[in-house]
Amino acid sequence: MKPRATGTRRPRKTRFSVTFSEGASRALITVGGIGTIAAVALIFVFLLWVVVPLFTAPTVEAAERLSAGSLEAPRAVLIDEYQLLASTLDADGTLRTFDFASGEKIGERKPLEQRPSAVSLSPEGRDFAAGFEDGSVRIGRFGYRSYFPPEAELAPELRAIEDGVVVRYEDGVLQRVQDGALRFQGIDVELSDPLSMRKSTPIERIAHTARDDGMVLCVWTDGGLIFVETEERTNFLTGEVVLDLSETELAYEPDPSRGTPDYLLLVGRGDNVLLLWEDGRLERVDVRDPESASVVEVVDVVPADGEVVTALSFLIGKSTLVVGDSTGAVRSWFRIKPEAAGTPDGTVFVPAHRFGSTGSAVTALAPSPRSRLISVGREDGTVQIYQATTEALLVELEVGPDAIRALSMSPKEDGLCVLTAADEVMRWDMDPRHPEADLTALFAPVWYEGYEQPAHVWQSESGTDEFEPKLGFLPLIYGTLKATLYSMLFGAPLALFAALYTSEFLSRRLRTPIKSIIEMMASLPSVVLGFLAALVIAPVAQTVVPATLVSFVTLPLALLLGAYLWQLLPQRLSIRWSGWQRLCCMGLALPVGVLSALALGPWVEGLLFAGNIELWLDGQRGNGVGGWLILLLPLCALLWTLFGGRALGPWMRRRSANWSRHQCAVLDIAKFGVGIAASIGVALLVSSLLDGAGYDPRGSYVGTYVQRNALIVGFVMGFAIIPIIYTLAEDALSSVPEHLRLASLGAGATPWQTAVRVIVPTAMSGLFSAVMIGLGRAVGETMIVLMATGNTPVMDMNIFNGFRTLSANIAVELPEAVQNSTHYRALFLAALVLFAMTFTLNTLAELVRLRFRKRAVQL
Amino acid sequence: MEERTIEIRPPGVASKEVPRMMRSQAGGQEPAGIPESNATLGGLFEAIEQDRKFETVVHDSARDDNPVLEIQEFRLWYGEAQALHDVSMICPQGKVTALIGPSGCGKSTLLRCVNRMNDLIDSVRISGDMLLNGQSIYDKGVDVIELRKRIGMVFQKPNPFPMSIFENVVYSLRIDGERDRRVLQEVCEQSLRGAGLWKEVKDRLDSSALALSGGQQQRLCIARAIAAEPDVLLLDEPCSALDPIATGRIEELIEELKGTYSILIVTHNMQQASRASDFTAFMYLGRLVEFGSTEDIFLQPKLKETEDYVTGRFG
Ligand SMILES: Nc1ncnc2c1ncn2[C@@H]1O[C@H](COP(=O)(O)OP(=O)(O)OP(=O)(O)O)[C@@H](O)[C@H]1O
Ligand SMILES: [Mg+2]
Repeated sequence: MKPRATGTRRPRKTRFSVTFSEGASRALITVGGIGTIAAVALIFVFLLWVVVPLFTAPTVEAAERLSAGSLEAPRAVLIDEYQLLASTLDADGTLRTFDFASGEKIGERKPLEQRPSAVSLSPEGRDFAAGFEDGSVRIGRFGYRSYFPPEAELAPELRAIEDGVVVRYEDGVLQRVQDGALRFQGIDVELSDPLSMRKSTPIERIAHTARDDGMVLCVWTDGGLIFVETEERTNFLTGEVVLDLSETELAYEPDPSRGTPDYLLLVGRGDNVLLLWEDGRLERVDVRDPESASVVEVVDVVPADGEVVTALSFLIGKSTLVVGDSTGAVRSWFRIKPEAAGTPDGTVFVPAHRFGSTGSAVTALAPSPRSRLISVGREDGTVQIYQATTEALLVELEVGPDAIRALSMSPKEDGLCVLTAADEVMRWDMDPRHPEADLTALFAPVWYEGYEQPAHVWQSESGTDEFEPKLGFLPLIYGTLKATLYSMLFGAPLALFAALYTSEFLSRRLRTPIKSIIEMMASLPSVVLGFLAALVIAPVAQTVVPATLVSFVTLPLALLLGAYLWQLLPQRLSIRWSGWQRLCCMGLALPVGVLSALALGPWVEGLLFAGNIELWLDGQRGNGVGGWLILLLPLCALLWTLFGGRALGPWMRRRSANWSRHQCAVLDIAKFGVGIAASIGVALLVSSLLDGAGYDPRGSYVGTYVQRNALIVGFVMGFAIIPIIYTLAEDALSSVPEHLRLASLGAGATPWQTAVRVIVPTAMSGLFSAVMIGLGRAVGETMIVLMATGNTPVMDMNIFNGFRTLSANIAVELPEAVQNSTHYRALFLAALVLFAMTFTLNTLAELVRLRFRKRAVQL
Repeated sequence: MEERTIEIRPPGVASKEVPRMMRSQAGGQEPAGIPESNATLGGLFEAIEQDRKFETVVHDSARDDNPVLEIQEFRLWYGEAQALHDVSMICPQGKVTALIGPSGCGKSTLLRCVNRMNDLIDSVRISGDMLLNGQSIYDKGVDVIELRKRIGMVFQKPNPFPMSIFENVVYSLRIDGERDRRVLQEVCEQSLRGAGLWKEVKDRLDSSALALSGGQQQRLCIARAIAAEPDVLLLDEPCSALDPIATGRIEELIEELKGTYSILIVTHNMQQASRASDFTAFMYLGRLVEFGSTEDIFLQPKLKETEDYVTGRFG
């Protein structure tokens, strides 16, 4: 064999070091790749881990039962926070306490001393008011009390109690708790002295509610209503607390044929009195001003004939009244404020929710003391627990054959206590989980208390238990999409055109520096952009709203006009000047557009927007024509362009075939002018017609101006997504094989024709994925929307209104969400939704890119 | 007969002194015959390689008072490297002119200069001029787009667009704004027939042009070029990827076209040059060595080097 130039024969065996590094690098790459996938998967799994408990079913488990002996007429059953004690309250005011551990009665008292003629218990059964035959009232509070008695004072056998063991002590129980201390748990009653009222007729019905400055009462006595406000006063000398009553006899004329109402209730903070008769007639008396109180509304809460109200209860907050009747129907009612209420006080009492279908008669209703759960006890011995807002049935129990007399939910909502007609007290351990955040509540419109109709609402902050968290995701998703849409509307075309310009029209020498500069924009922290938007751009834009609007028209017009004027140049000149001179002229069009917008702004404002655009947007003055005009003008211009291109173009071309270049240019300018005039004319005509037909653009795409709005965000976030879209798009365009460009140019196509007909279609996959990745960025962008929107979770398309995105919402609320609370998990769900959105976008982008790349490979 | 010496400067110097575009004022001065100096050179190729003085040999047969294309002292640099040295020649109206020469001698470069495709390469500088029908191609006021519509080109490598076959063929009509479907179909069929591709693709005009074989793609590009009806057609080795039958078809096509169009064709196939062309130019290392009618070049070349090349004894 001929020796090779190197003098040695080429070794056929691969060297060990080569094989080794091959294997090592392969292993490293595999580990890295799998690691990345695993990391993403782990994030996903973690999010799921936190979110899944939102959707797990509530649990309930029978725990203890005891016999209460024989009760006369039990009004209520109560259970303490640690679920050690149960208490029953009889109609005669007897309070009996039982101990679950021993199953025995450990105390019985009669704090009221005499039998009350009327009692009112707050829904969570903690404060109450009682009226007596002699016309006096007593108000008070009773509840469980726990304290740690000093061990030294206790008997030795008590000191020896072991962990978890419950021992009776006085009228309560002792229990050694986790940190070793002995805790006493017992019932405690605070009671005012009998307060005599002006009238001493027997009190037949009484209602009470708590206000910040004291209890408010309403009593039915002597066939009339008396409204009582109490005020605590401390005697400075004795230190005694005295209660002052201020009574107002309400000007309520009872219907003598109806007699005493069966139930008397005070709504909320005591602004309405409800009188309810057994047959379902409910009269609502407005007592905001007791002096001039009057019946404002009468409704029938039991629509079925001959059926009667058998149980009723307020939900926490005393705004929603839950009524159970003898048909077994349970409905909840609250007041709403519709536009055409038709009642003197502008509110209407509506049956908003209905729980389950009718069944056995309702005998007891008990709300949860901390959320919007309502437990329903029935004649046939079944108990259901519903979420009062979503109407979801959480738990259904078959307690036994006996009717349910009373029931209550423990303060921590972890237990349910039931008193049956057989005087048995039973307890269940339960865990309702997160009933206020099921799929309906998250994604479907929900009728919240006080809302006119079912709505999507996000309002998670919960200062008090009375506040109902509203976890509708749609406003957030909507806000995310709105931010994305408006920023893409602004950023994507700009980025794509910039990419097209650099790759197809800019000389190669300038291309690299310009590309680097635009890419450097990406390194601008978004918090800086957000800051600029919120503190610089938003206030400035507010002062020039009309000019900003007008600039959307004048800027393109100035550029187009410049282009048409350029055509007027003699051909030799225009070709010779096609370099920097043309660029300068293009640059000149921009300030011209901006300046004319500034100059025209006030004039347009006066003409179209009744002189003040913010008031106009607010709907306070002017008519809809101006808004329609601004909205329709671009549309008309587009239609004109299409019409001009399709219909008029060939005809004009035929006519002007032999014309000189100059003549053609003049014709073009004329066409342009006519086009503008025609667009404005058509837009004005259609606007007037639309306005005449009663359509007003305000309230949909335009509306009340908020300083930090979607327009500002769209503009600034556009800047954030421009670099990424630009870079990817430019790469895609420049990777189109050069020979295609040559082929097209060689066939006599202009660079623009080449770009539009050959380069862009060929690079479509890349352009598409650039836009999609920009979209992904816009969806997940946090800082800018956090700072430059008002973060109001509203759902409207109004470009001048703010919004709240999923990401900003997480950033704002996660720090203050209690770990593992519904709110916390809902925020993680928001993260998951966001993750899913960006994941879908990016996957879609990748799939499309791969599909198109197959085509590109063949080139 | 006029003696001319061509000053050949080192590229570095030239790049600073030669303006990018310089219209030659010396029209109609093609030297012809064998200059004495060339005969004494010994090896002509050796002389060229050493950048020595040298004169293009132009046969009398290759003179035309009214050529469609006239190239005047054309020089071209790719950056610092000179790729064309004082090329002066003509393309007679309605005739086929063949460019032959070894690989890398600048045939494609010269061809690209005719429709100013070299403008697109940033590093290119030129001097000299080309005249199309007596008007300068390189004048500042020339509309390049218009020029390229008059001078069609088929590239050495097939470059169909990633579109359907139909859209590829009618591309030039599309950019002119033609919308009449009948006209487009008519032109498409005629052009494809002309390029000898009609039979193969008539049933799949709407399928992608990229699915065609390399030879079919090249014929498609030819069809695309003739669909534009240019005045001058530049063909850069149109048959290098074709089988003898397709090659024959292209040669027939050239034969058909030649009265109406003027054709400048680059080829490595001597038989093709001799069969299909009327004039032949032999290039070597960026210089035009000998130019004359095809008969003269193939049967009575004045230079031994030309004779060696056309008979295949070169190298
Ligand atoms: N874009 C370019 N940049 C720099 N040098 C180039 C470029 N194109 C061609 N050249 C050089 O110019 C010279 C002439 O190339 P050209 O393509 O014209 O040769 P050719 O005669 O067409 O060869 P072939 O028969 O192989 O196609 C070659 O030396 C080549 O390296
Ligand atoms: Mg070549």
